[in-house]
Amino acid sequence: MEKFSAVGEKEITRAIVSGFAKQFQEYVESDCVIVGAGPSGLMAGRDLARQGLKVLIVERNNYLGGGFWIGGYLMNKVTVRHPAERVLDELGVPYEEVSPGLLMADGPHACSKLIAAACDAGVKFANMTVFEDVVLREDSRVSGVVINWTPVAALPREITCVDPVAMETRMVIDATGHDAQVVRKLEERGLVKTKGFGAMWVERSEDLVVEHTGEVHPGLIVAGMAVSTTYGLPRMGPTFGAMLLSGEVAAKVALGKLASRLTG
Amino acid sequence: MNIVIYDEGAAEELNTSEIAQYLEERLAKAGVEVRGSPFDRVPADAVGNLAGEIARTKVDRIDRNLSPKTEPLAAEIEYEKRRILGRTQAFGVIYDGFDLVRVFSTVMPGEELRAGFIHIVFTNRLFATWDDRNRRYHLRTSVYGRPSLISTTGLVEAPARPREYYRLKQQYERLGRDPAGLKEKFGNGFLDYDDARLTEVAKGYAMQAVFYHLTGDPFCEDRGCRLYNAHWQEELIFAQLKGSYEFCPKHAELLKKFIND
Repeated sequence: MEKFSAVGEKEITRAIVSGFAKQFQEYVESDCVIVGAGPSGLMAGRDLARQGLKVLIVERNNYLGGGFWIGGYLMNKVTVRHPAERVLDELGVPYEEVSPGLLMADGPHACSKLIAAACDAGVKFANMTVFEDVVLREDSRVSGVVINWTPVAALPREITCVDPVAMETRMVIDATGHDAQVVRKLEERGLVKTKGFGAMWVERSEDLVVEHTGEVHPGLIVAGMAVSTTYGLPRMGPTFGAMLLSGEVAAKVALGKLASRLTG
Repeated sequence: MNIVIYDEGAAEELNTSEIAQYLEERLAKAGVEVRGSPFDRVPADAVGNLAGEIARTKVDRIDRNLSPKTEPLAAEIEYEKRRILGRTQAFGVIYDGFDLVRVFSTVMPGEELRAGFIHIVFTNRLFATWDDRNRRYHLRTSVYGRPSLISTTGLVEAPARPREYYRLKQQYERLGRDPAGLKEKFGNGFLDYDDARLTEVAKGYAMQAVFYHLTGDPFCEDRGCRLYNAHWQEELIFAQLKGSYEFCPKHAELLKKFIND
C-alpha cells in the first residue's frame, strides 16, 4: 500500500485556515450573494457562475441542497413536472415518467449532481453560516448581507456576544424557501410588503412561482419558495420543477440587472 | 340584441364559434359576434396602468376581504402585463370577481356599454367573491355584469367534486402520489382540465349571462335547467349535459317570449 504523506497536524490546520481565509477575503466582495443552497439557489448560482460571475452561496446548514434530497414525507424520490425534466437532462440525472408530465428521480442523485454542477461552475459556499441582515446603500439598494456562524446564532445572545460581519455584493438572491428571510428583513424596515402564503390551489403554484421570480427591490431578487411568500402564491406540494426553473429565471434577471448597471 | 363573445385564451378545448352558433340558434333575433382577447384594443401605453388595476384585484387570503389600499408589487404588475399581452399562459392567481368585472369594463368599447349589448368574456382566470356571512371568499364559475366573466378554470375548480375525491386526493399527496390518477377512479363525474365537454358546458353559462341581461336573474332553481347555479360538479354535469330538458318550463317560456316579441 502506498503510504500517506508525512504531514503534521499543524500543516493540516494551516492549510484549512489559510485556504478558508483566502477564499473568505476574496468573497468579501462579490458579484452575487445567494442566501440559501436549496435547488433554486444552486441553479441560480450555477448559471451565474457559468457566465463568469463571482458567486457566493450562504447556507445555514452544514449540508447543501436544502429539501432537494427528500421528495416528501421523508421519502427520497423527487418529482418534477414537465418541462423541468430539461434540467435533469442537463445535469445527467436519470428519471422515469410516472404519468404524462410527471417525472421522478432519486433525490440523492439529483441533489448531488446539482451541487456538483454549481461547484464545477465556480460557485463558492459559506455553509454553517446564517444570514442576519442586509447591507443597504444608494437609496435603499441592497448591496450586501450581514452573516454570522450558525452555532453562534443558535446560542442565546446573552452568552455569545459575537458580532456578525458584512459581505458586499452587487446583487442578492433570496432563495431561503418559505421563510423569505432576506425579503422579511426589508419588510421589517418598511421597504417591501410581503403577501404571505395564499391558502388555495396548490396545482397551479409552480407556474406562478416561475412567473413571479424577479427583482423585488433594487439589488434583491427573490427565487424559489420565497417567491410564494413574497407574492402570496399558494403553498406548493412536494415537487421541485418550479424551484429549478425559478433559479434559472433568477440568474437571467440578475445577469440583465447587472449588465444594465454597467451600462448606466 | 347584440352579443359579443371574447376569449382571453380561456382553454384550448373552448370553441367560442360553436357557442356563438348555439346562442344564435336559441336567440333568433340576436346578433352574435366573436372577438379575440378583450385586451386587443388596449393601447400599448395603457397596458401598464391596466396591469396595475388587475393586480389590485388579486385575493391574497381567502379569509380577508380585499382592501382597496393593497398596493401590488412590481412583479405582480409585470405578470399581469404579460397576461394582457398574451405572453404567458400561466394562471393560478385568484381575483376578486366583482372588482375584476369593474376593471374589464374599462376595456369594453364605450359605445357598447349600454342596453342592447351583452359582453361575455371567457377567461382562464379564477375568481372568487366575498361572503360576509362566513367571512371568506368563495370560488365562482362566473360573475354576471357588464361584461359577464365566465371562467373555464372556475368551471373545473369552483363546483366541488365528490367528498370522497378530496379525501383520496389528500391521501395521495401525503404519499407523494400524483392525484391525476384519481380521474379514472371517478370516471366522468367532474369536469377537468383538457375536458372535451367544456364547450357544451360553457353554452349553458353563456345563456346564464344572457338571462342576466334579459331578466336581471341569471339563475334557476330547477336542477335540470341549464341556468341552475351548480355548487357541486355532479349538479353541473347534470344541468349542462344530462338533464332531460335544456331549460325548465318557466325559462323555456321566457325564451320563447323573447324570440317572439
